[in-house]
Amino acid sequence: MEEKVITLAHGAGGRQTSDVINNIFKKNFANENLTADDAAVLPMDAGKIAFTTDGFIVSPALFPGGNIGKLSICGTVNDLSCMGAKPLYLSCAFVIEEGFPIETLELIAESMAKTAKEAGVRIVAGDTKVAGKGQVDGVFITTTGIGKIQEGVNTAGDLAKPGDAVIVTGDVGRHGCTILVARDSYGIDADVTSDCAPLWDAVKTMIDTTKDIHVIRDATRGGVGTVLYEIAEQSSVGIRLEKENIPVDDKVKGVCGMLGLEPLYLACEGRLVVFAPKEHAPAIVEALRKGKYTQNAAIIGEVTKENVGKVIMKTEIGSETILPAPGGELLPRIC
Amino acid sequence: MSSETLDLARDIISNYSGRTLKIMEVCGTHTHQIFKYGIRKLLSSDISLISGPGCPVCVTPTGFIDEAVMLALEKNATIATFGDLVRVPGSEQSLALARSKGAKINIVYSPLDAVEYAKNNPDEEVVFLAVGFETTTPSAALAVKNAKEKGISNFSILGANKTMMNAYRMLKDSADAFLYPGHVCAITGLKEYDELKDEGIYGVVTGFTPKEILGALAMTVKKLEKGEAFEENCYKRVVTYEGSPSALKLIEETFDSCDSEWRGLGIIKDSGLCLKKKYSDFDARKKFNLPEITGHPNPHCRCGEVLQGKCTPKDCKVFGKGCTPEHPIGACMVSGEGACSAFYKYGGDF
Repeated sequence: MEEKVITLAHGAGGRQTSDVINNIFKKNFANENLTADDAAVLPMDAGKIAFTTDGFIVSPALFPGGNIGKLSICGTVNDLSCMGAKPLYLSCAFVIEEGFPIETLELIAESMAKTAKEAGVRIVAGDTKVAGKGQVDGVFITTTGIGKIQEGVNTAGDLAKPGDAVIVTGDVGRHGCTILVARDSYGIDADVTSDCAPLWDAVKTMIDTTKDIHVIRDATRGGVGTVLYEIAEQSSVGIRLEKENIPVDDKVKGVCGMLGLEPLYLACEGRLVVFAPKEHAPAIVEALRKGKYTQNAAIIGEVTKENVGKVIMKTEIGSETILPAPGGELLPRIC
Repeated sequence: MSSETLDLARDIISNYSGRTLKIMEVCGTHTHQIFKYGIRKLLSSDISLISGPGCPVCVTPTGFIDEAVMLALEKNATIATFGDLVRVPGSEQSLALARSKGAKINIVYSPLDAVEYAKNNPDEEVVFLAVGFETTTPSAALAVKNAKEKGISNFSILGANKTMMNAYRMLKDSADAFLYPGHVCAITGLKEYDELKDEGIYGVVTGFTPKEILGALAMTVKKLEKGEAFEENCYKRVVTYEGSPSALKLIEETFDSCDSEWRGLGIIKDSGLCLKKKYSDFDARKKFNLPEITGHPNPHCRCGEVLQGKCTPKDCKVFGKGCTPEHPIGACMVSGEGACSAFYKYGGDF
């Protein structure tokens, strides 16, 4: 049987466009705020909102542990969550390459719906465009989101303070490693799955434990290492890590060992880096470890007055070394 | 290594006091690991660690890059190479610049991939840039043998393969002892290292984990303190006395020994490998009738002196200013295993 694919007619605004919207997107995303009107009409409580947008062009679009659809929900949900905002509404815009299999698009939409449901967020607006063969690669998705900032929470990149503990919510570098292996450029076979996950529950768990949290940031492109350098600079502090406490999956370690890569610089898609006063850190980690995606949460270091703008690492042989500052793009199109 | 042994090794290298001991790590991976794990910061000020010429990219002379650029741009060959070489500056340009002018440069992870590419693209002349020591040479040998057996005539190599023995001899006065490169020794075995010991060249075969490096350093210090001739194997889980007979056989069947130019060290007698006569059809220099090319490295670059431990990267005027990993002037800044790159990434004060 011939495979059904997206054609330019699916993006022309006529009946075929309606078919895609009704049979794929509406079918999966249906909720009371998603209507056929030009814009979604949404109720709003008093207080502050967080608002963000992100584009997704990952290659390959399907990878172990997720796909571009799941990633596009998690990315925006996690960005909102990092500001202490409960994600409420998302929009999504698709640019689809002519010839893209409809079955794969369905799979992506299903996965988006499932992830949105899990994250407690509604998809309330969308757009579909079809580009000619070769003008995009497969499918690109942009999601935009609104969340409500929770009372008493105030997180930002310039709020880290000496004496803060540095926490990661799970093992590092898994998404980047998964994409690397999935592309098969190196002929390495490793059973690694992406950490791609929505993290509002994790953030809620933390702020239910204490509101006294200074920074929450999700480590996507550039990995945890890049986040640490960003915060060291924004907050004008130093960071000291304990290498032995940084959780890294054994398979990720193996792949990194072979290719000479630093797991701290491989992308994550379901990991947060958290800065909070040292005295709260054990309770935060204990609470996180009960969560679905945060069982390997760990305190990996502390914020120092010294070495402003630098990340120092204590190694397993008791020496101290600098974590090299982030360099050029390690891998393009990971998210 | 137990934590007691680790503590003991650290004590030995941290608390040594006496005449200055010069220890040269020969392998680029050792250089990288030593910086990555902050091992220099553990050393007593009476121990001086020198990063030697063991990174294949770093010792490849400028003229070699010029030859590759000529093959790519003037002879229209498709270059297959390990990634690092692409950014090494030649006299006038790097392969990266040549690529922007239309040269076809393919990055490969094994010479066998280059043979496969040649097989699948019979209209292209594919030249593999064969650099490296005893560790990488067997795979180049295998590629040439494969190409010959399968009659793939559009494949050849531009050779700059090197052997370590005579380099140690040349560097004898630069260091009191060497951390011998574990992976080279895994191929060559230790017979020749016995000969070095008889000539007054000492060292310890060293593995690559931080603990292995620490252990080998402590062993070296203890041996030097004793003042006796020595050659020790601290990487027994991998290195045997015989080495790898099958890899050695491959090299022997494919290559003859020849003189070779090392960046900064000049020509070292019998330190290179050239294809045997029966494989001369696979020698790109002959196939494309390349002229003798003398490279002209950037006069500000002091890579050559860095490789001999005559200066540290920080003594070089362009280090970290004109010469950075993003815009390297010298080969030692290009390769992740080069001393300049390691100093740049890990050498900041804290």
